[in-house]
Amino acid sequence: MDIGRAIFDARPRVVAALAVRLRDLDLAEEAFAEASAAAVPAWRAQAPRDPAAWLWRAAWRRALDARRRAVVRQRLAPDAPEPAPTPEDEVIAAHDPIPDERLRLIFVCCHPAIAADTRAALTLKVVCGLSTERLARAFLMGEPAMLQRITRAKRKIRDAGVPFEVPGREMWPERLEAVLATLELAYAQAYEDAALATDGASFAQEVLRLSGLLTELMPREGEVLGLAALVRFAEARRPARLDETGAMLPPGEQDMALWRADLIGQGARLLDTAADLGRTGPRQLLAAIHGLHLSRRETGVTPWADIVSLYDALALFRPDAVTAVNRAVAVGEARGAAAGLAALDAVPDAGRLTNWLPYQAARAGLCERAGLTGDAAAAYHAALALGPAPAERLYLQRRLAALT
Amino acid sequence: MQYMLLVYEPEDLDHGPEGQASLRDVGAKHMALAQAMREAGVMQAGAGLQPIATATTVRTSASGGQTLHDGPFAETREHLGGFYLIEAADLDAALVWARQVPIRPGGSCEVRPALNP
Repeated sequence: MDIGRAIFDARPRVVAALAVRLRDLDLAEEAFAEASAAAVPAWRAQAPRDPAAWLWRAAWRRALDARRRAVVRQRLAPDAPEPAPTPEDEVIAAHDPIPDERLRLIFVCCHPAIAADTRAALTLKVVCGLSTERLARAFLMGEPAMLQRITRAKRKIRDAGVPFEVPGREMWPERLEAVLATLELAYAQAYEDAALATDGASFAQEVLRLSGLLTELMPREGEVLGLAALVRFAEARRPARLDETGAMLPPGEQDMALWRADLIGQGARLLDTAADLGRTGPRQLLAAIHGLHLSRRETGVTPWADIVSLYDALALFRPDAVTAVNRAVAVGEARGAAAGLAALDAVPDAGRLTNWLPYQAARAGLCERAGLTGDAAAAYHAALALGPAPAERLYLQRRLAALT
Repeated sequence: MQYMLLVYEPEDLDHGPEGQASLRDVGAKHMALAQAMREAGVMQAGAGLQPIATATTVRTSASGGQTLHDGPFAETREHLGGFYLIEAADLDAALVWARQVPIRPGGSCEVRPALNP
């Protein structure tokens, strides 16, 4: 058996069950780590019937031992006998199968009382088991800073009394939104992460898994399905996002044969189910936009006019610069570069966006297509000066070189 | 658990006849909330505070010496105007009460768990 894989797969369910029982994220993670370490030699000798159940029992025992030791230490009586296990401990230790507490754990890690960027890292750490070192790289910060952030969040959850419960229905609009925003941020991080390094791919793999898990736990929430579809559509294009020189390729220039049909199929089914639920939302619209880019596979053309309509709908939910700039690019494709530039100039506060890479990249592309070579070169230079990731830098450099 | 709900408001809200009217209005709402908290059995303590002009601060220096100062401990735009100490099962339950605290525009309600006795 693949022991590493079995431990990895069992983690969300086991850690969630531990965390909810213990009301302590640190203890749950430590107990799981100890149980995993013990599993390696034990499973080499004899493969377990049910790896998750094995880990759950082993980790639960270790957590209880740790608790007892802590209680004894607190009483400052090093020689006192360890308290005997209570009947309840024994019942839980024998409990099989593992209770499914994954949703509760996700709601704990994504509580709005935790800062938004910390939520994403905490969820990936606790639920998926990503290392602090890996998270630090993904979120572009030092490892000590990331560790401090996660530690502070865990302490707050414990000391402020964040409940280990799925919130009541009346709180869902706010709480579910916090969960979805967390996963969306995590995916954006995974997507940007070094554009495509294999590392980034494995990070994205975790977000893919987490978003799928969420659809399993909340199958009747349109935005949950929309987010899962969005992640699948975006990941479907990952193998085609770079050319042979390592430069980024826009969707319209990608080799469609490399797009992953399995993920496209999954995303389309999720989006259909979401549509049947009849309540649209920003993630469903974003997923639909990705879906239209992918439809080039069947029709041979990108339906830019439809994409513009979807951006118009998206702007009702997200009247922000990201939506407006992406919409302007789509307008440029659908109605010509001049119309696109006009849309870009109409973005509210466009003057304040000059230090924002997506804005300069969009302006450069539109100016280039409008034949405004000088303006295009200036915008490409401005974009390059804003520190793009290596793949995008290569792309921008290539476009700039082709201008002259 | 016990939670402290700390009510902060910009003090200039009370100035002038309009300010005084809004103060009376918000005061009545606080009385109603305190009554609801008592009926729900969550109220442990609570009080509105006199304006910061009445504040006196005892400062302890690094060497341990104490001095008295006229005024609040920090010069900020928002000042502590009152507090509730409530008993709640968890943070979510405390937040449900915190959202009912009448706060005038520009103010806020900070929720802090008390240390376990």
